[in-house]
Amino acid sequence: MSTNTIALNAFVEQMDSSMSAYFQSCTHCGLCAEACLFQTETQDPKYTPIHKIELMKRAWQQEMTLTGKLLKSIGLAKPITDDDLSEWEKVVYDGCTLCGRCSMVCPAGIDISGIIRKAREAFVASKHTPEGLRHGTKRAMELGSPMGVQLPALLAQLKHVEKDTGLSIPVDVEGADYLALLSSMEIMYYPEYIGALAKIFDHANVSWTLCSEAFEATNAGIQIGSSDLAAELVERIVSGAEKLKVKHVISPECGHAYTAIRWEGPNLIGRPFSFHVIHILELLDQLRAEGRLKTTGSWDESFTFHDPCQLVRKGGVVQEPRHLMGMFTTGLKEMPDAGVMNWCCGGGGGVSANPRAEDLKHIVFNKKKNQIEHTGVNTLVTACANCRMTIEEGAEHYNMDLNIIGLTEKLAEYLEPNQ
Amino acid sequence: MSKQYTLMDHLQGQGITRRGFLKFCSITATMLALPPSLIPQIAKALESAKRPSVIWLSFQECTGCTESITRSHAPTIESLIFDFISLDYHHTLQAASGHAAEAAREQAMKDNEDQYILVVDGSIPTGNPGFSTIAGIDNKQMLIDTAKHAAAIVAVGTCATYGGLPHADPNPTNAVAVSDIIKDKPIINVPGCPPIPIVMTGVLAHFLTFGTIPDLDDLGRPKMFYGNSIHDRCYRRPFYEKGLFAETFDDEGAKAGWCLFKLGCKGPTTYNACATAKWNEGTSFPIEAGAPCIGCSQPDFWDNGGFYNALSQPTISIGETAAAAIAAGAVASVAASAIHKSAKAKAAKKHHTVTTDDME
Repeated sequence: MSTNTIALNAFVEQMDSSMSAYFQSCTHCGLCAEACLFQTETQDPKYTPIHKIELMKRAWQQEMTLTGKLLKSIGLAKPITDDDLSEWEKVVYDGCTLCGRCSMVCPAGIDISGIIRKAREAFVASKHTPEGLRHGTKRAMELGSPMGVQLPALLAQLKHVEKDTGLSIPVDVEGADYLALLSSMEIMYYPEYIGALAKIFDHANVSWTLCSEAFEATNAGIQIGSSDLAAELVERIVSGAEKLKVKHVISPECGHAYTAIRWEGPNLIGRPFSFHVIHILELLDQLRAEGRLKTTGSWDESFTFHDPCQLVRKGGVVQEPRHLMGMFTTGLKEMPDAGVMNWCCGGGGGVSANPRAEDLKHIVFNKKKNQIEHTGVNTLVTACANCRMTIEEGAEHYNMDLNIIGLTEKLAEYLEPNQ
Repeated sequence: MSKQYTLMDHLQGQGITRRGFLKFCSITATMLALPPSLIPQIAKALESAKRPSVIWLSFQECTGCTESITRSHAPTIESLIFDFISLDYHHTLQAASGHAAEAAREQAMKDNEDQYILVVDGSIPTGNPGFSTIAGIDNKQMLIDTAKHAAAIVAVGTCATYGGLPHADPNPTNAVAVSDIIKDKPIINVPGCPPIPIVMTGVLAHFLTFGTIPDLDDLGRPKMFYGNSIHDRCYRRPFYEKGLFAETFDDEGAKAGWCLFKLGCKGPTTYNACATAKWNEGTSFPIEAGAPCIGCSQPDFWDNGGFYNALSQPTISIGETAAAAIAAGAVASVAASAIHKSAKAKAAKKHHTVTTDDME
């Protein structure tokens, strides 16, 4: 099969009754345009969310509708070519972070970002993908991490953390209650997160472990948009968790990792999990509610909180971080649109792993910059390593005086010492 | 007129017997859908009721509402009740004019602060303050000023309640209803073009008796008068049920008094007391006179299609169309779903499994 036929076939594979309803129910009201930071910051109509799926819609019309089939049979349908795929590739990868804001505002209830995620399947199958994302995915499949982080690197980092905290980090402990996953970024750039986990779990007496065979939480398959690869990556975590017989798996401070394991996971592998998936913020808030977290002192600085898109919009994790911050600070200055309608940092959905999209990423970061400047603070707390990295880079690019901190590690600083 | 006069004194002065008065109280109780045990309470409240101050403001209107009330001519009990309130300001009815008239309004507002009842008929133009003014004051400002210290507002007529005719497309003055401007006062909507006199007096009687606003529906109308559709209470309803319709205004059906639905009667979607309270001292109401209801107590009645177009005029046989539609729909959905399923199944068979080779 030629690549464009492969793409067309992959588009058709994704169709179901809800997709069909979505394609038919758009009224071209334009609300999604105003909800998308790529559109608002560039004012380029090609970034109107519902427009990003135009190629997939064309496939649906030609292959799934009576009139479309009729037109195709008499040669009136516009075929999907490799040139089309190359052109739209830049829109669906470089110009979308799958942040889901468009899906929230659509009055017809169309899950636009969900469709873009599905559209990517066809781009992957036909090799129309950004090089950076492709190579990251290859590393994830072959080495276990998109950044090429392997077990020896993790163990070396753990040694540092153990030295810093004076606590031992459990690895491969069978029968532990919780299996903690990590993102490569946390291992390499923010190992403070691992230290914070050790401190908090020691404080709250939580039985936990890491797994030497399944420590990577990120799922490059989800980012690039291949269910085949995503399923294999989910399977690795599932087999690790099943081997250690854990009751829960903790998704770390990483947006798409949470979506991958929590929402797409069981559907990808086609069977229910034997364990329960929980985001680290959900777990911490649960410990707080049970009275197992005790803090002392308070953080006097004014700061703002960036809600990671995948957490608030896909997972509804909105109040949890605010409860946790309330334990040690009253300095939170909310951004306009904070919570479920928070604006994306601009680096999600594989954009941060796609060097070709770098200039565009900086342009759309302007949205986040304005939000941060509106609060008038110089410190930002978030709960996603990828958001954190993107905001750090954006702040650097715009010469902003901004200090960025992960929520879990900040909370760990204010824990009451155990008796 | 002395302010110490009670209703009973006044009625006796007009030659109304106590028997006649109690009869009115019974009718009022019936109209208000109250149990008979409350009739003495109504009588007592009305007998001893002091004349509350009423300020009546007329904006973009045709004076039809005022006409309606005055046509409930003396000595009907309704008009007496109306005499019995202290109507301190009413453009059309007051003798005073110019500065004296405005002074009367201001005096009444001052003397009865937070106690007077404000009655409004007519809609309020918001396009340009100059569209309608009284004594140099534009309607909107006068409404806001007068509403400020009112105990309650009674919006009378469809213009004051929902914008009415001035609000009809293209609404050149950008007319709005009282409730679009005043948000912080209880507003009773008494729509109709015009409203039925006894409905207006009934609302006031309820206020005088209980000191409270009657139970209102979602359009702000007292449920006791606007709780049923004209259709539900229409004496021609049996013909509707039998499928006997007048097709033209002069056919045998029209002469036999059959249902006017096909001639555009809006009774099924109109809520008012016409079919029960009737007009002209209970003589009749439009449908009884052979005219279909035009739905005048409903919002935007002027713009809801032609008065003589049936509410849902079928152009072809309903049964055949429905059967054809169902059949066509079923065929189409089976066909569509078949296309869908076969296309999807074929695509799944040709699935290109993504591997690391695709990641080069």
